[in-house]
Amino acid sequence: MNAPIIKCHNLSHSYSGKTALSNISFTCESGEPIGLVGPNGAGKSTLLNILCGFMRSASGDVTLFGHKPGASALSGRVSALPQDAQLDPAFSIGEQLYFYARLQGLSTQQAKHETSRVLEAVALKDVLKEKPSALSHGMAKRAAIAQALIGKPKLILLDEPTAGLDPVNMRKIRTIITELSLVTTFIISSHDLAELGRLCQQILLLDKGIMSTMQLNASENNKPTRFLTLQMEPCSAPDVQAKFNSIAGISRVSNPQKNEFIIEYNPEIQPSMDLNIITCINDNNWQYRQLSQGKTLEEKLFFDGK
Amino acid sequence: MIPSFLKHTSLICQFELKRFFATRKGLLYMITFAFIWYLILFYPIRFSSDFLGQQQNTPEGNSFFQFIGFGSLLNWRIPELGVYWHFSLVIFPLLTVVTSADQTCSDRNRGTLRFVCLRVSRGSLFFGRFSGIMLTQAILILASLLSTVALIAFRDTTLLPVAFNSASAIFLSLVIALLPFTAMMAALSATVQSARQATSWAILIWTFLAWIISIFSAYLPALNSLKLLIPGYQISNLSQLAEWQTLQLAYIPLLQTIILLSIGRWIIHRQSL
Repeated sequence: MNAPIIKCHNLSHSYSGKTALSNISFTCESGEPIGLVGPNGAGKSTLLNILCGFMRSASGDVTLFGHKPGASALSGRVSALPQDAQLDPAFSIGEQLYFYARLQGLSTQQAKHETSRVLEAVALKDVLKEKPSALSHGMAKRAAIAQALIGKPKLILLDEPTAGLDPVNMRKIRTIITELSLVTTFIISSHDLAELGRLCQQILLLDKGIMSTMQLNASENNKPTRFLTLQMEPCSAPDVQAKFNSIAGISRVSNPQKNEFIIEYNPEIQPSMDLNIITCINDNNWQYRQLSQGKTLEEKLFFDGK
Repeated sequence: MIPSFLKHTSLICQFELKRFFATRKGLLYMITFAFIWYLILFYPIRFSSDFLGQQQNTPEGNSFFQFIGFGSLLNWRIPELGVYWHFSLVIFPLLTVVTSADQTCSDRNRGTLRFVCLRVSRGSLFFGRFSGIMLTQAILILASLLSTVALIAFRDTTLLPVAFNSASAIFLSLVIALLPFTAMMAALSATVQSARQATSWAILIWTFLAWIISIFSAYLPALNSLKLLIPGYQISNLSQLAEWQTLQLAYIPLLQTIILLSIGRWIIHRQSL
């Protein structure tokens, strides 16, 4: 078992009497990326800002690698992509990354090399001499991610890394995270649950200042019933539900969204329910888009049991 | 290995110098500065030195300058430097307020400070930027002083040893006089949202604070000593002194600087970025 890299104990914070975080306690271990989700105003950015040392919590204890947030000992070990933070418009991207590398203790040669390396990692080597104003939104985001990669930190906190990006740039950022997650632990705050579902095994859910954690793999295998999520091409929902309900082993079919069905079944009666579903679709000449094991992350986090 | 506090401060100071001397905004400021000093050098300093030189040894001239409040000009061995001293005591504090108003505020608003504070302590950031601005001011003072000395040498090369001696006194006194202005702007910049707000607060502190203290000290004279905390409080007295005497009042700006930097550091440590 890995040693915890983040320890939070009874962390609380409020803005003008409005609670942002309420007695949050959790630990994070190094390894797979960890997702941080929650509705707007849930306190995600507040939590990340406290972890980065950008603001102080009203009460509670936080340590990263055993040090208080913002401690000098964390320089180079912890990095972040703060939400909406922009690079200095007066200097080129290269000059700023070089400066940050020097602040992390790299020599002039190492800092030059590191600047090239991180820009290459985010596919921005050509913008070394460009000012931030010359970059598109997606490029600026990737440049900001590049600064977070300087010095190969052990922990990187990303606040909305793909917000406002086009699909191509979103995929680029996901690839960067996947490639680096072997040596770096990422904590990713995002509203894009599909993206977190792809990247993370552990999710921290923050709602109204209260935190709960979820292990994505562990949650379903121990239960007596399992779920399939089916996305159909346009179809008649009552017909589909009626046909599926007649299959042995299926206990419930719900239709949470248009053309989306969640099928609850008993694996002891029918272990390979997915094959039965496909056969049923084929027999009825329906078309489907996607069939996946389990519920979507969105269902698990926000609608389970509702 | 993580760099020390001093190493971080030095790196941030160097970056501030680069901001001033190698960016478009900095170069624009330098051109403006050079143009202002060109006008001051070639008109007031050059002509008034001729005039002062003629009046220095006549009783009428002495009384005239005493009458208009510029008698101290006659105490300078080289008139150009006396005139330079009077101009610089007004111009440099004003330029300092303008150039040092944005030490941290716009970077804080933009989020750029977050990138820096992931790597350095807030203390290093605060003192690094303060040192960078002070070093910039020192370079500008030196450049304007050397051009004045060049003007003196053009008139009479035998005056060069005296000119360098007096210019050294001016350089040291001016740098010390500017310390509390820069420290005040560092503290204000750590508090407010924009450079404009910082400048407005600086003007309010100068005018209203001095005015309020004056009113209250009419009832309680001991309060008058609070004026010592206002940057530039000693400047009117400083203008009456000449050459190395100007360092007699150096304790006032140095004390002000220590207090203002302590306040600024306290603010930036508690400020959310």
